[in-house]
Amino acid sequence: MGKMAELAGEAGVTTAVAAPSDGASARGPIPGWLYLWCMAMAGFGVVILVGVGWLNAAAVQAWRTVCLAVTVQALPFLLLGTALSGAINAFVPERMFSRALPKRPVLAVPVAGLAGMVLPGCECASVPVANSLIGRGVTPAAAFAFLLSAPAINPVVLTATAIAFPGSPAMVLARLIASLATAAVMGWLWLWLGREEWLRPAARYTGHQTGRSRWSEFRLGFQHDFLHAGGFLVLGAMAAATFNVAVPRSVLDVFSGSPWLSVLFLAGLAVVLAVCSEADAFVAASLTGFSPLARLAFMVVGPMVDLKLIALQAGTFGRSFAVRFSTATTVVAVLCSVLIGGVLL
Amino acid sequence: MNRPVQAFLLLLSGSGLLHVSLFTDVCLRYVKPGMQPVLIVTGVLLLVLGAAEAWSCLRANARHDRADRRADDGETDTPDGLPHAHAHGHDHGHGHGHDHSSVPRVAWLLFVPALSLLVYAPPALGSYTASRDTVKVVTEQRRFEALPATSPLPMTLTQFTRRVQQDRTQAIKGRTVQMSGLVTLDEGRDSWYLTRIVISCCAADAQSVKVRIHGAPALPADTWVSVTGTWHPGGTLGTQSAPAELDAGTVEEIDRPVNGYSDSLPLVPSR
Repeated sequence: MGKMAELAGEAGVTTAVAAPSDGASARGPIPGWLYLWCMAMAGFGVVILVGVGWLNAAAVQAWRTVCLAVTVQALPFLLLGTALSGAINAFVPERMFSRALPKRPVLAVPVAGLAGMVLPGCECASVPVANSLIGRGVTPAAAFAFLLSAPAINPVVLTATAIAFPGSPAMVLARLIASLATAAVMGWLWLWLGREEWLRPAARYTGHQTGRSRWSEFRLGFQHDFLHAGGFLVLGAMAAATFNVAVPRSVLDVFSGSPWLSVLFLAGLAVVLAVCSEADAFVAASLTGFSPLARLAFMVVGPMVDLKLIALQAGTFGRSFAVRFSTATTVVAVLCSVLIGGVLL
Repeated sequence: MNRPVQAFLLLLSGSGLLHVSLFTDVCLRYVKPGMQPVLIVTGVLLLVLGAAEAWSCLRANARHDRADRRADDGETDTPDGLPHAHAHGHDHGHGHGHDHSSVPRVAWLLFVPALSLLVYAPPALGSYTASRDTVKVVTEQRRFEALPATSPLPMTLTQFTRRVQQDRTQAIKGRTVQMSGLVTLDEGRDSWYLTRIVISCCAADAQSVKVRIHGAPALPADTWVSVTGTWHPGGTLGTQSAPAELDAGTVEEIDRPVNGYSDSLPLVPSR
């Protein structure tokens, strides 16, 4: 689909070709540069000669715009998140977390969930931070509670929700409580059923090693996380753009009639649209055909599970984790929003 | 992905972001104006990160060369010292930060947005999206002030729709108004839509506001135009039965304004 796919294909080819060059690069950086330039030039030639005609079709243009928009919007937050995770790894001593969090994991989970309030970013920032927390000895259950709650209940997102739903503070409160509840339940669920082997070992987060410069540790960790997560972000943005362009919004009207279907449908929509958590309140507000309960489900599920987030988690924690975790989170988030929305809205 | 390529990718991403946010307004095709300073900071940070990586690569390389040379010298003088000296030099050159240097292949995907921003930035969303997406709901307004006496009266599409469908005083009746937006064709009909695409965060959450235009031939889809005209009568003005439609007097081509993703009066054209 479009130039992105073309370039993605090219990137795949380049990787395959560049792999042997890694060995060659032991002599110096020049072969890497050369390979890269050749591939870039060849790729451009192909795009310009073959692709220009159908690249300009309206649907392809819209797909590229949406894909790039999701990426550009998320990059600053991803950079913030990976900088934080690099800093946690290099500068924060391990004992700080063991002091800040309760000793018993059952209690650490809700505390970590509440701590999500302080990270003013969207969901892209929280994945690398949670990963580095696990690396620094925080129990995974607490790190996951933080991962889920941070993008949903930080002040920026709650303010956006209040602006998007003027005159209904109950919606802001319902979002806060339902998101916190989901985060805590998922943390406890991990304590109960979770297995370490689903997690890819976070071996890189070894903390500060004596004899090495903290700054260079910070820089290298930051850089690695950013490039790694950035790649998965682009992958997720491509998937989200495909759904965005391929599924016309008029499909929505079919589901808005039934109260139960509409909750499930909007939860599913939140997953495939991958709207940033700082913006999803405005999108929810625009879905006027749907009940407030369904819109709450959209806002609770959205920051916790969506295509780009699944891609990011799969890259960070491993695929077997991402699939289980996202499925369970969706179910728990829908239940929490129905329960809490039923009481408050 | 080896380290020089990582440095190159970071520099490329940084320049891409700076290109669309600092040197041009291209980023406004994708995100809200409020993001522009954030993107500039991000671009600068990526450049710094890339430059630091490139610098450390060059230094590691130079050290490696020196170490090689020393090892070669050592070979002629004291053969015993060779293996140790060489291994030591090598460790310093490439063992440094080894656990971080293996960035997985997925990072190559970052070249796509980076190059796209630099050389092949896709256009802003237009009539294709407007003809498929949901129409943004015009919110209720209870009190309406008297309209200014200016003629033609500049208005947004939302203001016009509110005046037509909600203002019981019918102040819009007989007034000449001026609105701007892009052209969206309605297949098989003479009339067309004047459209504004509205985003709340980035282009992924676009919604559209439309006013149907009668009595003027449509320009090609996605052309930005400024239209003056009067309300196209139908139904009862001031109630939902009145259509948000306009009988066009003049249609003038304009450049896309910087605030093209909001339903507001046009500011300066974007760079």
